Amino acid sequence: MSDSIKFFINGQEFFGKQGQTVLQAAAANGIEIPFLCYDARVKPCGACGVCVVESEGSAKLLRACSTPLTEGQKIKTDTPRVQAARNSALALLLSNHTGDCTAPCRNACPAHTDCQGYVGLIANGEYQAAAALIKEKLPFPASIGRICPHPCETECRRKLADAPVNIAALKAFTAQFAAECPPPTKPSTGKRVSVIGGGPAGLTAAYYLRLYGHDVTVYEAMPKMGGMLRYGVPQYRLPKDILDAEIAHIQRTGVQFINNAAVGGSITLQQLRDNSDAVITAIGAWKGMRLNCAGEHLQNVFSGIEFLRDVFAYQKAIKGKRVVVIGGGDTAMDACRTAVRLGAGEVSVVYRRTLAEMPANKIEIQEAIEEGVIFKCLVHPVEMLGDKAVTHIRLQKMELGEPDASGRRAPVPVSGAHEVVEADAVIIMIGQTVDVTGFQDVTLTNKKTIAADQHTFATNLQAVFAVGDATNKGAGIAIEAIGEAARCAQVVDNYLATASLKPLQKEYRVTDTKTAEDFAFIPKQSRITAPITPLKARRNNFKEVNKLLSAAQAQKEAARCLECGCADFFECKLIRYANRYGIAPEKYSGAMQSHGLDVSSPYMYRDMNKCVLCGLCVRICEAMGSGVLGFINRGFDTVVSPELNRPLNKTNCTACGQCADACPTGAIGERVPLKKCVPLHTQATQSVCGGCATGCGVKVHSYGRLHIKNTPLSGGMLCREGRFGFIKQLKQPRVTAPLIRTDNKLIKSTLPQAAKFVLERLNQITNQYGNNAVGVCVSAQNSNQEIAEILKFAKNVWQTQNIFTFDACLNQPAEADFAAPPVVRVRARLNSRGLLDAGVPVYAATHGGIKALLMLGSIPSGAKIPNVEFLTVVDAFITPVAKKADCVLPTAAFYEKAGSFTDINGTVQQSAAPFTPLTAPTLKDILLALSK
Amino acid sequence: MDFSVLDAFIEKYKPQRGSLITILQEAQRIFGYLPVQLIEYIALKTGEKPAKIQGVATFYTQFRSQPVGKYLIMLCQGTACHVNGANVLYEALSNELGVSDGGTTKDGLFTLSTVACLGCCSLSPAMMINEKTYGKLTAETAVAAVRAIMGAEK
Amino acid sequence: MRVLVGRGSCGEAAGAHALQKLLQQKLLEEGCDIAVETAGCIGACFLEPIISVQDGDAFRDYVRVDNTAVEEIARMLCGKPNKASDYLMNCEDAQLLKKHPRIALRNCGRINPEAIQDYIAAGGYSDFTQKDILAEIKSSGLAGRGGAGFSTWFKWNAVRNSQGANKTVIVNADEGDPGAFMDRAILEGDPHSIIEGMLICAYAVGANEGIIYVRAEYPLAIARLKTAVKQAEEGGYIGKNCLPDFSFYVRIKEGAGAFVCGEETALIASLEGERGMPRLKPPFPAEKGYFGNPSNINNVETFANVPWIMQNGGAAFSAIGTQTSKGSKVFALTGKIKKGGLVEIPMGLTLRECIFDMGGGILGGKRFKAVQLGGPSGGCIPESLLDTVIDYKALSETGAIMGSGGMVVMDETTCMVNMARFFLDFTAKESCGKCTHCRIGTKRMLEILQRITDGGGREGDIEQLEELAACIKDGALCGLGQTAPNPVLTALRYFKDEFISHIRDKKCLAKECRALLTYIIDTEKCTGCTLCAKKCGAGAISGQLKNAHSIDNQKCTKCGVCARVCKFGAVKAE
Repeated sequence: MSDSIKFFINGQEFFGKQGQTVLQAAAANGIEIPFLCYDARVKPCGACGVCVVESEGSAKLLRACSTPLTEGQKIKTDTPRVQAARNSALALLLSNHTGDCTAPCRNACPAHTDCQGYVGLIANGEYQAAAALIKEKLPFPASIGRICPHPCETECRRKLADAPVNIAALKAFTAQFAAECPPPTKPSTGKRVSVIGGGPAGLTAAYYLRLYGHDVTVYEAMPKMGGMLRYGVPQYRLPKDILDAEIAHIQRTGVQFINNAAVGGSITLQQLRDNSDAVITAIGAWKGMRLNCAGEHLQNVFSGIEFLRDVFAYQKAIKGKRVVVIGGGDTAMDACRTAVRLGAGEVSVVYRRTLAEMPANKIEIQEAIEEGVIFKCLVHPVEMLGDKAVTHIRLQKMELGEPDASGRRAPVPVSGAHEVVEADAVIIMIGQTVDVTGFQDVTLTNKKTIAADQHTFATNLQAVFAVGDATNKGAGIAIEAIGEAARCAQVVDNYLATASLKPLQKEYRVTDTKTAEDFAFIPKQSRITAPITPLKARRNNFKEVNKLLSAAQAQKEAARCLECGCADFFECKLIRYANRYGIAPEKYSGAMQSHGLDVSSPYMYRDMNKCVLCGLCVRICEAMGSGVLGFINRGFDTVVSPELNRPLNKTNCTACGQCADACPTGAIGERVPLKKCVPLHTQATQSVCGGCATGCGVKVHSYGRLHIKNTPLSGGMLCREGRFGFIKQLKQPRVTAPLIRTDNKLIKSTLPQAAKFVLERLNQITNQYGNNAVGVCVSAQNSNQEIAEILKFAKNVWQTQNIFTFDACLNQPAEADFAAPPVVRVRARLNSRGLLDAGVPVYAATHGGIKALLMLGSIPSGAKIPNVEFLTVVDAFITPVAKKADCVLPTAAFYEKAGSFTDINGTVQQSAAPFTPLTAPTLKDILLALSK
Repeated sequence: MDFSVLDAFIEKYKPQRGSLITILQEAQRIFGYLPVQLIEYIALKTGEKPAKIQGVATFYTQFRSQPVGKYLIMLCQGTACHVNGANVLYEALSNELGVSDGGTTKDGLFTLSTVACLGCCSLSPAMMINEKTYGKLTAETAVAAVRAIMGAEK
Repeated sequence: MRVLVGRGSCGEAAGAHALQKLLQQKLLEEGCDIAVETAGCIGACFLEPIISVQDGDAFRDYVRVDNTAVEEIARMLCGKPNKASDYLMNCEDAQLLKKHPRIALRNCGRINPEAIQDYIAAGGYSDFTQKDILAEIKSSGLAGRGGAGFSTWFKWNAVRNSQGANKTVIVNADEGDPGAFMDRAILEGDPHSIIEGMLICAYAVGANEGIIYVRAEYPLAIARLKTAVKQAEEGGYIGKNCLPDFSFYVRIKEGAGAFVCGEETALIASLEGERGMPRLKPPFPAEKGYFGNPSNINNVETFANVPWIMQNGGAAFSAIGTQTSKGSKVFALTGKIKKGGLVEIPMGLTLRECIFDMGGGILGGKRFKAVQLGGPSGGCIPESLLDTVIDYKALSETGAIMGSGGMVVMDETTCMVNMARFFLDFTAKESCGKCTHCRIGTKRMLEILQRITDGGGREGDIEQLEELAACIKDGALCGLGQTAPNPVLTALRYFKDEFISHIRDKKCLAKECRALLTYIIDTEKCTGCTLCAKKCGAGAISGQLKNAHSIDNQKCTKCGVCARVCKFGAVKAE
């Protein structure tokens, strides 16, 4: 314990080592002191001021990154003075930080679905991954994709270029590929949650709470689950089978469904409270608002909500009749278009304001007009006429007065101007209220909805939460209720674990403002919409009106996305700290720097508007011996610039990528090798680099089957090959199935067939020339395990001595441009040393005279293979040699197989397999198939 | 521009560590300013990285990346000059020459630049034109001084 | 009998060189062979140009000399009847010159800086090797004259004790503080005192290399230093084996225009040919300075005191001054002061004595408002604290600092809000840009102050300034950043009412912030001479010949030319 130093952080005792800084010692003890401009690979410089701490005995605040640890030092990391300095540092940095952490579409979505994420994945053809990404926030992509009025598209910046991206249709399209079975649920927590209401909100809360490991039961008054999705939205907009499939997916998580169970009816709220740890009320707003005008009680005057609940029950009252729908919202559109489909003689909509001000979705109004619905505006029903059943409605003429609180111009009656219209049936759709029977001890708002806290969704009753249409401002769109339910699930999950109500803070995001000029350079591409059923074929039936986008259409439309969100969002330390410390930088807003984007390098982009001037890129570029990046100017105008203000590709940059790896924000980042760049929360798997035999450690960042990027291990280094070499491989064509040469063309076949084909020829050759006529060439791409298997196969099964490799184990540096000085890339390929140690000789003249050749793995460029009568190649890629082969058998690529490799210095390195192999048969299966 | 004029000076100072600023000062004395090509040339000759040289060249106010006029007007904005109305002088000279801070007149005669402190505060408000110092100025006397030089140049 | 012409930069600007040649020529005509020599500046800038005649130890100083004065002096020197005495410095000023001991300025204006023998004759380069240098410096209580007031002995002792080889002694002659020029006066008037000071320090701490880092804006100082170094080398006072088995090589390096390079580690970075970016401390320069070797850095004035201390002993030096601040300090009295120039006063004098006694009070009879000490790192001290004693501790308690000696006097026509904005504008431009708090913090404070002086001040601005100031002082790495908020904090502490009137009433009491002024023509006084209308660049003044004119306040750019040119005082600003 000689060199160990005792020190204190916030009163707690720890031990550090001589020579450590406060930051290192704290980290070693699991205490994270925030920092931006520190990196173990370079000398500390103390620029950012985020790592400041108080140290007893020092009047000044100290920078943890560069303060050497001293015996008995008492450090405080969270005093008001430290917080003021640290938070102001972050706020000041953010006040000169331009960009969008997350795209405007995602920010606008009430459930914060990652629109740019799944649109980007769709553009790359990754439909399953896109559906899974949606389901992280929204369990109903298929349903919501069809009915949502899509506030995301209203904010989509593509409208500044030509027209917004068709996000809703893309969501509906990709929902087809949603996984049947839900993700694994967390181990059971033993806690029970009751959800009252099986609508979109209730089911969403149930779904996520179940995934969090709680035992969930949903009580629904109606005979089926689905709420308004089933009983409110007509079949032609949302087919019930689509909804049922998504509800079944939720049920597969093990959520208990109990139908025909109304609270206040067969069960009481108190009963549920007694036998569960938390109750979530999601009962929606199912009572139609009354007009409260004379004659409203007459026959055939229906409440819109009840009408939509069971449309066919009203068939008789509607068929051939003159139907008048009162109201201008989406539900009114559903009512009138449903009436059309029920065979009404004439359907008209009555609305107090003008057509332009109708809140309903513009497309819905358009389609209703096409279907013959008549729109009578600036009129308001004052009396229903008729003795038993309604026959006429007296309408008061209106005109638009001053705008009311919501900004819409309030309708004012024109005195004495009336109109009477005939009406056999009237459907009132002017809003929904909440039926609170059974919830008498729950505090209500003045609008008679359940009062729920905005951030914790808690009601006045202990452990009773409330979400969706039934609460606060009342009925809204489905996605709002779903967003609340998903957030409520997180609050309840925390509540069940800690018995405390931790409100979900609204996440701070840096947002930019753009104008049409910013996108003037974008080539115009009109928005692709799915075809809709022609008028004739849709007026008299409830078949789904909107078709789905085709795959080609979806990819093309998704490609129109302008990629607004920052590519580095998931790794950016600035936004992480901003939210951890609750920063509100608006108060320091002022002049901001503005620089162009440098996308000259194929490997990295530079966006200095996101630079926090930590100087890590400059220092690490110097440490790598390139010294291409440097500061120019002074004070607030200081900026990092490549040498002589040249774009990156016109400098001596060796593209080692260290600057991008060291950058704590999105100022310098890797250009993702996808058709469409999309910011993704990647998973990092530690492995070894396959670029050469030096055996550098590497972190492989993947998302599903997408290989996003390679980065060095923390504190480590890579050269360009290790960092970006994999991109070249992604573009190489893969061997996807066994191929047999028939009339001089390689055509697909199966492993057994191909094996038979190879065995026949090899047996011929060995019978004629003996076993040694078959040469087995082992490439350095194989792992030690694979080499052993191949040698065993070659020696015992084929009993040939002619086993060799073209990979000489040369410890010579490769061409200069690839090596970045401290990292030397060698000419020898991956496992050359492994082959050497396994005693595999390099191909030489002595191996001449072979008639058949079995090649396992690719050969180094420039090597020439002997021409033989029969060539079999086992490789992951269609290489020039494979093209000439008689038979080609597929294997896994480097990042698809785990195994050990011996690097040039003889140390055995372990590689991991972040990706599942493209093709099924493993090397074992192939060798087995090729055994006699 | 033939940069080789600088070679002897670079050879002399190259062995001395940390002499980059001295070399840049000599380069600017010879060529009047430090264009990118000159910086690249010095990088070649000294072995220093161009990014570092450019960093130094853009840090210090003495170094200029643009050519300056034949007469460099350095208008002092030190504390004493500020208190005694240096901003009035700036406005008068800026109107007279039609350029703002750091600008050079079209005929290439004058560059107007404000400086932090010339160290002759007793003569405030003061300015220097090339090596000559003018003290206790008013808007009128400052413009007169410039006009005198303009007259002499014609 | 010797004749010396005060040729510091200010003297040159006032025409001293031409007068020197004229006097020499006049003497030759009269057949008188006295040489008219060059000297530095005695510091009485308000009396320049000055010609001094030395008889033995007495000096007669002829002030505000013009060509006729030169003729009188020439006749006087040749024993002819003359009226030279009309130009003699009046006894009050002469009294002030002798009132306090002059240590740092002892030779300035009294010797020829370009003649080493003058310096030697005044006691320079006397042997100090027998004395215990560090003991003398310690007993003298000498502290850093650059502004921080750090104990000189402590620094030298640290450098002496650190192991590293090829130690260096560095003179910080960057003098970036606007409004300060005492270092320049010493470099131009008595360069050898600096070279000897370095030599003594080098000998004491075991350094063989000396570097004088002079700002590029001081060409005359650089020239005189080069001459002095050459003469000192030729005289064997420095260079190879200048002392028994001790060599000391001195070279001069020019700064290139960066105030931040007044900070030790930034100065070292600049000496190493890099961007002047301050470095982390520890390690302190005493351990790892210039190219990683131990370095001792002191200000010009600090080194100038060293030879005096060695000649007269530490005790004599510490006898002057207060308990906590020893010796004398040179201040550059500028701004609205009658007798502007350099004054060397013993520590312990009050600000009032310095300004009203030594400085002769406020120019043009206006009322004193505040005095600014320490430049961009210092603060303004109001009338109520004029009796504060000039002492490191006492001054820092007012919120200002001793600083390098800039003492800018302000009267009622100076707006303190605009003063605070001026200093923030300075530090924001001079910030090296490394630390978040200084790079962005000073910019944001400046933007707030700019908004206030432009009439856009709003509630909460003062709190925001105070909050930002505290964070910047805490978060910045180096002296520049840590002291940048001081001018604002002191202005807020003593002149908060001015901030409030700018923010709430949109009024600038000192009538300096143009955006808050409205120019009005007093119809009684206006004679209709149309001069102001002609001069107005914005065409905002209308009126017929001989009738009262009026200003259109929308068009008026508030440049103030009309008020300046009006001969009848008819234009007023409110």
